[in-house]
Amino acid sequence: MSALLEIAGLGAGYGEAPVLFDVGLEVRAGEIVTLVGSNGAGKTTLLRAISRTVDSTGTLRFDGRPLGGLTPEQVFDLGLVQVPEGRQLFDRMSVEDNLRMGAYRRRDAAGVREAFDRVYRLFPVLRERRAQLAGSMSGGEQQMCAIARALMAAPRLLLVDEMSLGLAPVVVDQLLEVLAEIRRQGITVLLVEQDVFAAFSVADRGYVMETGRIVREGAVADLRSDPEVRKAYLGVH
Amino acid sequence: MALLAQIVVNGVLLGGLYGLMGLGMGLVWGVLNIVNLAHGALIMLGGYAVYYLYTGAGVDPFAALPLAMLAMFALGYALQRWLLGLVIRSAQLNTLLVTFGLDVLLSYLAQLAFSADLRTINPPYAGSNFALGPVTVPLAPLAAFGVALLLAAGLQAFLVRSRTGRAIRATAQNLTAARLHGVNPKRVYALTFGLGAALAGAAGGLYGVVSQLTPYVGVTLTARSFVVAILGGLDNPLGVIAGGVVLGVAEAATALYLDPTYVNVISFGMLVVVLVLRPSRIFERA
Repeated sequence: MSALLEIAGLGAGYGEAPVLFDVGLEVRAGEIVTLVGSNGAGKTTLLRAISRTVDSTGTLRFDGRPLGGLTPEQVFDLGLVQVPEGRQLFDRMSVEDNLRMGAYRRRDAAGVREAFDRVYRLFPVLRERRAQLAGSMSGGEQQMCAIARALMAAPRLLLVDEMSLGLAPVVVDQLLEVLAEIRRQGITVLLVEQDVFAAFSVADRGYVMETGRIVREGAVADLRSDPEVRKAYLGVH
Repeated sequence: MALLAQIVVNGVLLGGLYGLMGLGMGLVWGVLNIVNLAHGALIMLGGYAVYYLYTGAGVDPFAALPLAMLAMFALGYALQRWLLGLVIRSAQLNTLLVTFGLDVLLSYLAQLAFSADLRTINPPYAGSNFALGPVTVPLAPLAAFGVALLLAAGLQAFLVRSRTGRAIRATAQNLTAARLHGVNPKRVYALTFGLGAALAGAAGGLYGVVSQLTPYVGVTLTARSFVVAILGGLDNPLGVIAGGVVLGVAEAATALYLDPTYVNVISFGMLVVVLVLRPSRIFERA
């Protein structure tokens, strides 16, 4: 099976300060892959390189197509859609308007209606709150709204950045359930997380990033039993 | 009592027009975070556009408004895309300086092109009025007020209901998220500035009917637009019209009870008061 997202020898940074070095990562269609690492490891920079808001060197291909010269809008149109860290909702817009913004570049009215149905089935609470201002909801509901907004764009690969940040464990579990359901619906997921426990509970494979480099990769079961990973990220000795 | 009622009527009608001026300024400010010091100059250009359409081509001033708006939209779009867009990511002082320079440039170009003479757009119905109980309602200012309300309601509907309007609000609220969902901010910014200029153009045409145009009228109109935009808030178009009405009534009362020469003292005085009392209103959006 060929990779949907293919990254090799990738370097990126801001101005004179390099952040990523020789990063290699692969996401195959239908997988949930997680990228874990502590604060400042370079995870968000990698996502920015993928979404072309930061320049990079090396190989970066989606569905066999190089992303190098594309604008963020073009990458988005290919079906690479991000759920950003900190949710980044349009706080003073209704939930429904937020979701409509997710479908901003879609011109198929029927498809958009269907997408509304789908996300409301996935998150019934958003249907109840569709007229409410997004910024007035709880953190968990806002995260649901952010995921739903991204789903409105009909993504092929969903890039989820720090989904668990600041949320109660029970809410995180609920959202992980939803990611599994999203994958069952045929959407591939790359989950970037600091909460390694949570990420490993839902992912098939994982990558561990430290100071801009990938230091471990493999099936989640193998990573879980890796002594270094256990010590550094799972807090068990 | 009748005198007071007359002042209120005059003030409200003029104030609707001030509201329309504040509308364009507030829109650009709220979305692009640019305090456009050339806004009054854009109003002035719109006024001359309607003046020449009327005197040159015989187009009724109210019928000329859409044409002037279209031309001003194109000018505003181009200004943002190819001039202000170059400095929009830098400190706010830079956009202030550029729009200040633009104001000077446009004013003196207007002086060259149109001369410094006072101009009034003077259609046959300019002096018409009707009696409403004890007060006299002048027809042209009433129509101008109606157009201002209509444009405010139209802007409101556009921002709330249309796809492009939603993208404008989204970009104002969260630029990062808007970009992540495929909004092209350069296009949204140019559209927004174009809309602001079109509203300024309409306000200018109406101002030429109810008052007088000179190439230098822009400076005081910029100040009024600024006060009105802050009074009305940057989020709510109909609130901005209400802000304009407050200023209009204050000016009309000043003209009558003090002296017409103090009118600018009131508008600039309110500017100072607003800056002292509501600085958060200005900087929280910055």
